Amino acid sequence: MDIIREIYDAVLEGKVEQASRSVQQALGSGVAASDILNRSLIAAMDVVGEKFGEGELFIPQVLWSAKAMQSAMDFLKPRFSSGEQAKTGTVVIGTAKGDIHDIGKNLVAIMLEGAGFEVADLGVDVTPERFVEKAVAVKADVVAVSALLTTTMQSMGEVVRLVRGKGLPLRVLIGGAPVDRAFCEEIGADAYGMDAVDGLRKAKELVKR
Amino acid sequence: MTVCVKREELLKELGYRQAPDPRLLQLIDDVLIMMGDLAEYKSVYKEICDSEGLPPFLIGAPLKYAGAATLGEKLENRVKELFDKGKPAEAFILDTAGSVAVTKAGDMLWTRIKEDALARGFGKGLRRTPGCIGIELETQRWIFEQLADPGLGITLTESWMMVPRKSLSFLARFGGKLIKSFSCRACPRYSGCTLRV
Repeated sequence: MDIIREIYDAVLEGKVEQASRSVQQALGSGVAASDILNRSLIAAMDVVGEKFGEGELFIPQVLWSAKAMQSAMDFLKPRFSSGEQAKTGTVVIGTAKGDIHDIGKNLVAIMLEGAGFEVADLGVDVTPERFVEKAVAVKADVVAVSALLTTTMQSMGEVVRLVRGKGLPLRVLIGGAPVDRAFCEEIGADAYGMDAVDGLRKAKELVKR
Repeated sequence: MTVCVKREELLKELGYRQAPDPRLLQLIDDVLIMMGDLAEYKSVYKEICDSEGLPPFLIGAPLKYAGAATLGEKLENRVKELFDKGKPAEAFILDTAGSVAVTKAGDMLWTRIKEDALARGFGKGLRRTPGCIGIELETQRWIFEQLADPGLGITLTESWMMVPRKSLSFLARFGGKLIKSFSCRACPRYSGCTLRV
C-alpha cells in the first residue's frame, strides 16, 4: 500500500503506533514532510472531523486519531526548516474564572495539539487577567476560554473586554455546554466551538483571519 | 455501598447507539473495572426545619431535605493522571463513567429520601440542584452548612463548586405548594440549553 495512504489510514483509525512507524518509514524513504502533513495527517483529521459531525465517530475515537496525528507530528516537526511550517498557531487555553471543570477544555487542547498548534494550558479557574498576560507572553493568536456553567461563563465577557480594551491582536474563542452563538455575539467573542472538533475548526479559521 | 455502571449505560452516555469496534469495547470494559477500585461512594441527607434563610424552593413544604453524594477524589485524580500520561481516550471514558456513576449515586440517595418520606406519609416529591433555574449556586453553602458532615469529604470552592467534582447536592421537598416556578421552561436559555433537566 502507498505509504501516504498507510499513514492516512493509521490516523483515521486512531492507531498511534502504526502512525509513528509509518511516518518514520516514509521519512526514511525520502517522502517530503509537507506531503505527509498535508496528504496524510491533515486529510485524515479532516475526515475524522466530518465523521464526528455526522455522528459516525465519537469522542474516544477522535481522541485516538488526534493522538495518532500528534505522535506523527513529533517525527515531522524537526524536518521543517524553520519549525514554523509545522506550527498552525499558538493558543492559550483555560477554564473560566470560578469554574473547575476541565474535561472539555482538555479535549480541545488535545485536538489543537494534534493539529499542530502550540498550546499553553492554564488549567482551571483562570482569571481574565491571567489569560491576557499569558497570551501576550507567548505571542498567542487565540485565547480559548471554556466554561460549563451559566454562572461562570459570564467571565468570558471580561476576557473579551480586556483583550479589546488593550487593543491586542488576539482572537477570543469560547466554548462549553451553556455557550451558544447568541452569547458569543452578546459578549463580542470572535467565535464559539460547539464541541471539541468544532473548537479546532474555529481555531484554524481564526488564525487565518 | 457501591455504584455499578453497566457497559450499555456508558456507551449510551458516550453517544454510541450501536456497539463500537472490539478495541473500544475492550477499553470500555477495562475502564469500568478500573472504576470499581476508584469510586468511593458516600452520601448523606438531612431533614430541614423551617428557619430563617430557607431557600425559596423549600418554602411551604411540610417535609424537606438537603442531600449530597460523592464518588471521592480517587477517580478524578486517575483521570488527570491518564491525561498527563497521554491517554486522553481512557481519561475521557473514565470521566464519563464517573459522570454516569455520580448521577446514579444521586438517584440512589433520592430513593432513600423518598422511602423516608413515604414512611412519613408523603408520596410525591421534587428535587433540585443549586445552579438549576431559580436556585442560586450560592445555595451550596447553605446546603453544606445544614449537612455539616466532614466525613463526606466534599469542600466548596470560592465560587461554590464542589470538590471532588464527581459530587452532587440537592434540595428536596414533599407536599405544600411551590411559591414560584422552578421549571427549566422559565429560563431564557431554555431552547438552546444542553443541560436541560
